[in-house]
Amino acid sequence: MKKDPRYKSGLISSLNPFGYNVERWSYALHRVTGVVLIGYLMAHIFETFELSMGSTAWTNTMNALHSLGPLELVGLWIVAGSALYHGANGIRLILNEMFGKLMGSPILPVYPYSPTSLGRNQRMVVWTITGVVLVLWVWAGLYLLAGLGVV
Amino acid sequence: MKESWSMILTYISAMVLIFVLTFHFLLQGPLAGKSFEDTLAFGYATGNLVSFDFVFGLLLFAAVIHGLNGVRVIALEWFHPKEKAWLLNLVVVMLMAFFLALGSYTLVTVG
Amino acid sequence: MDKVTLEVVRSGGRRIRYDLRYRKGMTVLDALIEIREKLDSSLGYRHSCRMGICGSCGMTIEGVPRLACQTQISILKTDVIRVEPLHSMGVMRDLVVDIAPFMAMHKSVKPYIMRRNTDERDHSDREYRVLSEEVRRFLQFDYCIMCGLCYSACPTVALDPAYIGPQAIAQSYRYMADPRDEGWDQRIDLLDTSHGVWRCHVAGACSFVCPKDVDPAKAIQMARKEILKKRLLRRKARVGAQPVPLLSSGVVKQGVKPPPFDFGKGSVSRK
Repeated sequence: MKKDPRYKSGLISSLNPFGYNVERWSYALHRVTGVVLIGYLMAHIFETFELSMGSTAWTNTMNALHSLGPLELVGLWIVAGSALYHGANGIRLILNEMFGKLMGSPILPVYPYSPTSLGRNQRMVVWTITGVVLVLWVWAGLYLLAGLGVV
Repeated sequence: MKESWSMILTYISAMVLIFVLTFHFLLQGPLAGKSFEDTLAFGYATGNLVSFDFVFGLLLFAAVIHGLNGVRVIALEWFHPKEKAWLLNLVVVMLMAFFLALGSYTLVTVG
Repeated sequence: MDKVTLEVVRSGGRRIRYDLRYRKGMTVLDALIEIREKLDSSLGYRHSCRMGICGSCGMTIEGVPRLACQTQISILKTDVIRVEPLHSMGVMRDLVVDIAPFMAMHKSVKPYIMRRNTDERDHSDREYRVLSEEVRRFLQFDYCIMCGLCYSACPTVALDPAYIGPQAIAQSYRYMADPRDEGWDQRIDLLDTSHGVWRCHVAGACSFVCPKDVDPAKAIQMARKEILKKRLLRRKARVGAQPVPLLSSGVVKQGVKPPPFDFGKGSVSRK
């Protein structure tokens, strides 16, 4: 792969949201959580395959996982958080991309400029998502790591 | 085939995933009324796959299609292949077929 | 503050600091001009109008693409200001970047009115009547000054040099929404490619940095809706605005007085 001659381009720059708006931060997080999830999905399909091999094979798989120690549950907690964030943000992206919602309509720009696509409705949804995801993630953590929060 | 069709597939699988994944978390999570360790029991896991085989089938297809299409998008942006774009699509479709086959085998054998 | 330092990333990655006396109301462009006049005449940068309309002085200031003439030093709230070339563009010299790929992307989406009947264009003794509410649908996107800040801010452009970029998509939508244009199908096919509109992930950085509030993120999602309308809902292109005879000298007798230009309720942007 030829080196890109452009200044500060590439994977790291595209995922670097410092100085930018909150939607760019959520893009970076959406991408990172997506990669975590697809990695987990592929491993999970292999793992659940063991269910078809009988209960002994399944017990061996579970023991192999438990041998990872606390890493197993912490890893699952990270995956749970990734799934919660990716799904919730994904709902906002479907609204934006497929239905064109939360973007506002064309206006005549008047100084000081405030783009409607980064406006009140969009921000409200972003922060609501963040709040809901954090609450659910904490609950997931309590459940996985401490066995609490069972209904 | 136009790019919009693969994105429509991604959007539809995303909307399906919201529902079926919530269902999966309900079965494996705190709302199942058991500790996490208990939800991993062989009987419980296979029982779920048998009773809700349609939902898990939907979960498998939606997750694999959505996830591997995401991988395709990341690879397309990162490597931006010019002539070899068909190769990327082929690899992704083959991966999809593989994981769908593996997951379907599990569902069918257990059920 | 009485002193300000500009840390400029010059050709070859050299970081050179220039100390200047701060004057009230000083912009980054004022500082660069002073550097070239008094401190270092070898500093290379583009500028022209110094009032935010030509789009020449785009550069990365404190990590975010901005127009140097529109960036007051006082709002940056730092004594040492990092000035770099625009990201995702090739550096020609110091702060001067190669905008040819950016311009090429714009050209590739055919940013002009397309009519089926080219005779109208070649023998124009008539005009296209466009109502003010129709203008309102695309006027915001017409304010683009082609400064390249949105292109530089876009994370997909950073990753994928083949991506056409927010400016091109916004301009393509500007023409799709123009009632005079009859190139809807062509424009949809130009955008519906593997490096076209679908590579946008709504990071919104383009709208965040746009100095004229063109809001390309909004235009891109509206362009997507047009594509989905065609693919899923099987919509057909509407007929373009029809040419009407020019009002002649007997206008008082003939004419219908055109309605006053109304920008609509949503025209005042809120903070």
